[in-house]
Amino acid sequence: MSIKIRNEIIKTDFLIVGGGSAGMQAAIAAGEKGIDVVIAEKADTRRSGSGANGNDHFACYIPECHGDDFELVIRQIDMTMDGGPFQDPTMLRLWVSRSFEVVQKWEAIGINMRPTGKWNFEGHSVPGNQRYHLKYDGTNQKMALTKEAKAKGVKIMNKMVVNELLLDQGRVVGAIGIDISDTQPEVVIFQAKAVLLATGGASRLYPGITPQYMFNDCGCPANTGAGHAMALRAGVKLANLDMAAGHAGPRYFARGGKGTWIGLTSDINGTCITPYQDKPSRENGDIASDIWPGSYRDRMQCGQGPTYMNCTQTTDEDLDYMLHTAMVSEGIDSITDQLAQRNIDLRKEMIEFGSYNIGIGSQGVDIDTHAMSNVPGIFAAGSVGNVKGSLAGAVVIGMVAGESAADYVKTVDEVSVENHPLIAEKIAFYSEILERESGAHWKEAGATLQNIMNDYAGANVRSESLFAAGLAYLATLKEESLKHLYATNSHEFMRVLETLDLMEVGEALMIMARNRKETRGMHKRVDYTYTNLLLNGKFQTIQRVGDEVKLEFRSPF
Amino acid sequence: MPPIINKKKCVSCGYCAQICPVDVIKMEHKEAVVKYPDECWHCRACEKDCPKNAITMRYPLSHLMLNMKPLGGK
Repeated sequence: MSIKIRNEIIKTDFLIVGGGSAGMQAAIAAGEKGIDVVIAEKADTRRSGSGANGNDHFACYIPECHGDDFELVIRQIDMTMDGGPFQDPTMLRLWVSRSFEVVQKWEAIGINMRPTGKWNFEGHSVPGNQRYHLKYDGTNQKMALTKEAKAKGVKIMNKMVVNELLLDQGRVVGAIGIDISDTQPEVVIFQAKAVLLATGGASRLYPGITPQYMFNDCGCPANTGAGHAMALRAGVKLANLDMAAGHAGPRYFARGGKGTWIGLTSDINGTCITPYQDKPSRENGDIASDIWPGSYRDRMQCGQGPTYMNCTQTTDEDLDYMLHTAMVSEGIDSITDQLAQRNIDLRKEMIEFGSYNIGIGSQGVDIDTHAMSNVPGIFAAGSVGNVKGSLAGAVVIGMVAGESAADYVKTVDEVSVENHPLIAEKIAFYSEILERESGAHWKEAGATLQNIMNDYAGANVRSESLFAAGLAYLATLKEESLKHLYATNSHEFMRVLETLDLMEVGEALMIMARNRKETRGMHKRVDYTYTNLLLNGKFQTIQRVGDEVKLEFRSPF
Repeated sequence: MPPIINKKKCVSCGYCAQICPVDVIKMEHKEAVVKYPDECWHCRACEKDCPKNAITMRYPLSHLMLNMKPLGGK
C-alpha cells in the first residue's frame, strides 16, 4: 500500500493535537479569544481520551463551600492524590485557583455539575480534612465540550493522527498529520503558529494486568505518548518520567475510578486492613487505594494477599448509588455491567483489587505558568510533567494554554512549511513501512517493548546493569522495528506509529531512571538504596539537543 | 467477541465506527464489523451511543473480575 498525500496545507493559528478534555478546553478558550483553531483528534472528540465516557470527581475549590483560607485549601488538596510531590507549587495554586471557573463554564454548557442540586464533594479526601472532589455527572462531557468548541468556531478534524512537529529557527511552525479515516492513510500538512500537545499519558508502555490483551488498561489505551515523543524529537524538555507510578483497581479488569467504590480495603476474611476508616463511607470513599496504590502488589508479594474491595457492609442505598449512578457518571459502568451479567452480588461477595503496572500519567512536558514549553509556540496540557490535578488540572491548564496561545500567535509571523525538509523525510519513512509486503506486526514490537520496560526498568528492582542492558536492548528493538514493521491499512499504520512513539518514551524514561541514583517511591535502585535528601522536591528533566541528551535536576517554582 | 452487534437491529449508520475511541469497529461493505476485538477497551461508548440499541458488551474471560465471599463469615 502507498500513502496518499493531501495537496492542500491546513493553515491555522493554533493546532491542538488531541481532543480530550484538556484539548477541548484549550480550543474553547482560544476560540473565545477569536483566533483560528483546529483540533486534530485521532478518534472522535465526542468519545475520546481519558474522559471519553465520563468522570465524577472534579477537584475544585469553591470559596462558598471551603472558606477563604486559600493556603489551608492548598495544604489539604496537596494531601490528596491530586497533590503530593512532583508538582510545582505555583502550578498547583494556578489550577486550584481557577478550578471553580471551569466548573461554572461546564455547568453553563450542560454538564451536570450538581446532580444532587447542591455542590456535593465525595471521595479522594483525607478523613478530617475538607472534601474537594466535586461529585458531578460527566456522562455527556465530551459531547458538550465538542458542541461548545464548534460554537466558538473551532474546526475539528477527527481520525487525524499527528506524528511530527515542524520547527523553524527554534520555534514551532506546523505539524505532520495522517488522516486514518479511510483504509489508505493520507498525509496532511498543518501550518500553525502555535501547537498544543494534549495527547494524554502513555498507556501500553508496560505490560498490563493481562499482557496478552494490551488494551485492558485503566487509562485510555489510545493514549500512547505521541505528544511526549513528538516533544522529545522537537527538543522540548520533559519532566519526571522516571517517577511514573501505577494505579489500582479490579484485578484482571483494569478500570480507573477506584475512588468511586464505596467499601473497605479488606483481607480474604473481610477484615479491613487500613487504619483510615472502619465502615464504608460515601463521603470519604476508599482513601486507602489513593494513599497506597501499591498495597495490592506489596501484600501479594509478601504473602498477605489477596486484597479485596469489600462492599458487604455498604448500605443497599449506597450500593445502588455506587453501581447505577456514580459508576455511570464516572464512565466505568462496564464494571456494573460485568457484575450484572455474572450475577455477582456485592452484598455478599468481595472483588479482588490489584496494583496496575507503571503508566505515564502526571509525567511529560515541563511547562511554565502559560502552559508553554521551552520551545516557543509548543504548549502542553493534560498529561504534563509538573502538574497533577487529574481532570481538573488537565482542563484548567488546557484553558490557560488556549488563552496563552491566543496572545502568543499575535506576536509571531506565519512561516510557510511547504518546503520544510522534514516533510519529505517523513513521507519516505511512512512509505517504507506501508510498501513492505511482509514483515513484523506492530504487536510483536509492542510486546517486546513491554517486556524490556518491565524487566529492565520495572517497579521491583532497578540498577545500573539492568539499565545498561535495557537501553541496549531498546536500541536493538528500535533498529529491528524500523527495518521490519509493516502495516496493511491505516489502522495498523496508526498502531505502528504509536509503538514507535512508545519506544522513544520508554528510552527517555530509562535514561532518566538510570541518572536518578537513589531510591524514591517505586524507583527502587538496589545499587542506591537510600533516598537522597538533596533531591527532595527536585524535578528531573530530559531534553534532546542535537544528538546529545541533557539531564538536569531543577528546583521547583 | 466484544462488542456484539445485533445484525437484525443494526441499520449500518456507522456511528459506532465513528466514535469508538480505539478504532475497533470498521465499516466494511456498508456493514459495521468488530474488526479488532482484542483492542476493545470495553468502555461501552458504542453500546451507549447506538441509536438502535443494537450493541451489547461481552466481557471476555481474560477480563474476569475475581469475586470471593469473605472467609471470615459475613
